Amino acid sequence: MFDWEDTAFGEEITYSTFGCDVFKADPQTPDRLEPDVHIYREGAEKLDRIAPDGRRIRFWTFRDTDPAAPNQRVTHPAPEIRVTQGQIVHTHLTTSTGPHTIHHHGIEPTTANDGVGHVSFEVGDGYTYQWQPARAGSFFYHCHRNTALHFELGMWGPLIVEAPDQGDGKKRLYEDGPTYDSEMTWVAHAVDPRWHLIQDHDAGLCGLDVGLNRYEPKYFMLSGVWGNRAHYDPTTLIKAQVGERVLIRLLNASYTILRVKFTCPIEIVAADGHSWGRETWCPTTRRVPANTVLELVTAQRYDIIVEPTKTGHFPVFMQFRHWITNKVHDNGKGQLKAKVRVT
Amino acid sequence: MKRRRFLQLSAVGGTIATIGLSPTPSRANSTTTETNFELTIAPANAEMIDGTMVYTLQYFHGFDNPSPEMRVREGKQITVTVTNNDSQPHGFIIRGVAGSYIHTMQPGQTGTTTFTAPNGGTYLYLDHYKGQLNRLMGLHGAFIVEPEGDGKTPAGSETPYSVADHNPQLQALFDAFGNHPRFPGDRWRAGDLRREKLWIFSQVDPTLNERVAAGELVDPASIPDNFLPRYFTINGLSGFDTANHHLEDGNAAHDGRAGRIMPSGKQGEPCLLRCINAGLATHACHIHGNHCFELARSDYKFRTEISSNIYEHDTWELLPLQRAELLLPFERPPDIPLDRWPPVEEPFPLRYVMHCHFELSQTAGGGNYPQGAVTHWQMTDPL
Repeated sequence: MFDWEDTAFGEEITYSTFGCDVFKADPQTPDRLEPDVHIYREGAEKLDRIAPDGRRIRFWTFRDTDPAAPNQRVTHPAPEIRVTQGQIVHTHLTTSTGPHTIHHHGIEPTTANDGVGHVSFEVGDGYTYQWQPARAGSFFYHCHRNTALHFELGMWGPLIVEAPDQGDGKKRLYEDGPTYDSEMTWVAHAVDPRWHLIQDHDAGLCGLDVGLNRYEPKYFMLSGVWGNRAHYDPTTLIKAQVGERVLIRLLNASYTILRVKFTCPIEIVAADGHSWGRETWCPTTRRVPANTVLELVTAQRYDIIVEPTKTGHFPVFMQFRHWITNKVHDNGKGQLKAKVRVT
Repeated sequence: MKRRRFLQLSAVGGTIATIGLSPTPSRANSTTTETNFELTIAPANAEMIDGTMVYTLQYFHGFDNPSPEMRVREGKQITVTVTNNDSQPHGFIIRGVAGSYIHTMQPGQTGTTTFTAPNGGTYLYLDHYKGQLNRLMGLHGAFIVEPEGDGKTPAGSETPYSVADHNPQLQALFDAFGNHPRFPGDRWRAGDLRREKLWIFSQVDPTLNERVAAGELVDPASIPDNFLPRYFTINGLSGFDTANHHLEDGNAAHDGRAGRIMPSGKQGEPCLLRCINAGLATHACHIHGNHCFELARSDYKFRTEISSNIYEHDTWELLPLQRAELLLPFERPPDIPLDRWPPVEEPFPLRYVMHCHFELSQTAGGGNYPQGAVTHWQMTDPL
């Protein structure tokens, strides 16, 4: 008999176990298989960064603790997970500061491997999540404990499932899908400095009003790069040549309505990790003319192909809007510019 | 920690109406359509998930059914009669439904309208008087139209849409269930509450409710810039209350108000999700376990647009006043290792949450994660 003590599988679900006193356990991985690939993450690791205005902001993140590649530095956002479709993946989570989880967002494993405490368990010391991605595409992962706080503070990273090699040397977003020559992951996110002063992992869980219904971001970022640098920082600048096909994996990881305007034509070939244009009920991809505004709410993703036909600089404008007023955050300053530079 | 003591919503100054724990839980899962609806507008105190009491306004159907779901059949003559028992003027309209408008009713007045039920779909009724104010106070609900002949495709698959609105993509999807290697099992079934759930999202800022309770005439134009919701609801419920826990048998999963929210079924029993945003905040509905097919969405003129390119989403946008319909396929969660399906050591039901990813909406009273706009669905058995 499998030991489900202190989990939602073995105990009664009550109002208390829903949030304040959520299940905490370190069970064995049920229905365990021999993995093809191991991923190691430890959290929450703390990382202080200096904002462009000189302010010190404390982020929380996951660290890669792969024993085969020891002493990896702490980064924000958390390091990418990259696996191949069909692999049996084991994500080993260890916790350094109280309970956490990993939810592989858009990946759909069993409940025990989905990382949501109130229907399974949160991880006390360590747990190995087992999953086998059925589809190639763009996903992400994040902590699902006191998520409002832990996600905003930085406990997330990209998750890419690559398509299996089809033997012709070409990279594809998914099997028999669109080819690409290079790729870029653009994740828009924001910082409300008030939230980053909260150091209690469990803030508000048991009834205290800690203002987590109020979000007033002052910093706007792209894939960990401060917004003012996003259009030239090598981490986020897209450099392409005419005729090259660039895959952009676009994610909104902010609690804002994100508007994105490309100044070059694009083709959307997938959303939320699921391909477009391959099924009878979804027969086409979407070709989007230059200067069209796309809107993404929190956690939405688009996979975009850019195939430049002329040289030049093509800025990509992003606006972070309030979820109620729809006004641009921070009195209109909630914006950043990214760029596609074509030579 | 404060805990709500019991689930109730009481009419102010009079009859106590118990909701949530319905005295006669409906066990019949087949839907019933009607043609004649008599509603009463009255104030009611609603208890939030953390025990806070909030003054609200409700359309009552009878004395104990607030914000009733109105369900009709396409093409029928529908009569709605509303009596205003509040101390302020109110109105009635179903957005996107011609002829549904009832002019402002003064306190004590009754208004009525008769109209033809439109094509199959999900609609939102509300009080349009004073803009968004009364809708936020609770005066809103779902108006659901079942299509004539169960909206059957040429291949005989039932759909929630009138045949005149069908396109080949919609028909291909509904025909795929039970007939496609990816979707073994059953087709979608019309007229069965186990195969369709209703999620009306809304938000509560108690300071606004207090002002209305105190008799203040709130300027609706001033609301958006000052609206700071502390409670986030689905069909008026939050967090723990949005799902049925401790189920002894499969049928109980669909009982009561939580049962109207929480999808439950076996692998291969697709379920329609009727999503409406009655509030002021934009939502990002995110579901675990399965991606959902986005079938239809209302546009800026409140018209339903059935998709001719049906996308699979794990997250979908829901703007204020918007309706969207998605199909939760109840397929084998695709990233469970194939060699471990069905799981042996991990028990059924498999449970997967659905929550808004604007995580502010997962709070109650400024904290209390996850007692906000969250529920879960469960797969009780493999095929």
